[in-house]
Amino acid sequence: MAKGPGYRMMVFMSKQMIACDEASFLISLREERKLNFRRWWQLKMHLLTCHLCRKYAKQIGELNYSMEVYRDGVSHESCSHKLSPDAGSRIDKELNRELNAK
Amino acid sequence: MSDSKEHKLDPQKWVERYGDYLFSYALGRVNDSGKAEDLVQETFLAALKAMDRFRGASTERTWLISILKRKIIDTYRKKYSSKESAFGSHEETVFDGDFYRSEEPFRGHWLEGTGPNSHSLLPEGELEQEELMKYINLCVENLPAPLAAAFIMRMIDEEDSDTLCKELSITPSNLWVMLHRARLRMRECLENKWLS
Repeated sequence: MAKGPGYRMMVFMSKQMIACDEASFLISLREERKLNFRRWWQLKMHLLTCHLCRKYAKQIGELNYSMEVYRDGVSHESCSHKLSPDAGSRIDKELNRELNAK
Repeated sequence: MSDSKEHKLDPQKWVERYGDYLFSYALGRVNDSGKAEDLVQETFLAALKAMDRFRGASTERTWLISILKRKIIDTYRKKYSSKESAFGSHEETVFDGDFYRSEEPFRGHWLEGTGPNSHSLLPEGELEQEELMKYINLCVENLPAPLAAAFIMRMIDEEDSDTLCKELSITPSNLWVMLHRARLRMRECLENKWLS
């Protein structure tokens, strides 16, 4: 039987398919840069058929959100943690020693 | 001592004025109070040596933070060079055997238990910042050192790819693989530790 356009289409489609490993890599990669069309399409097609990777994509979004909250927690102006008095005086002593040596 | 015009340096007051601030900053990035204390001390000593180069264009605090940032990156660098092999191997292995199946016909599918399980990564109800930070710290600590470094610099310091590649002397594709592997592990860890 001759290999018609339908067959060629099938071969083409199957070559476009990616598995979860690649899909999850692309989900991460799109945080870093714009995906090219081919990769964007591959990911889109994979997500259409794979509920695990859809969940993964959603959770990576939640991870981003969590890291935002974390960033707020460590970077706001007030000091969230205090240097212990011991460490403070130790560092102060070190600093003064260097100052006097100057 | 210093010839700066707008901002002056006053090392005598550094610990009192900026000790807590630098300590908090460092602790958010290395998550080990001993290490964070060391970093604060190293920062002050390095600042002392570099005082002549302070031109008063920025505030004393901003200047000290920029030195601390350098020190933090240096500690990650040290971790790299001591683990050269672990570092190089990240280039090849996009497809992590710890997470995906390797046998046909299911090659590349999620391994049981490593893929996403629960519907959401976040606990139900209001999100408590303190709790969230606790679990993120815990999970970052579980990352292999190079992955932790890349992840922290990318997500907490919000460095872009170019800067990161330059700082860590790696290629972009290497960095992307590392970030992917870090995200895989962070997601899994948060799901298992936080939600259980």
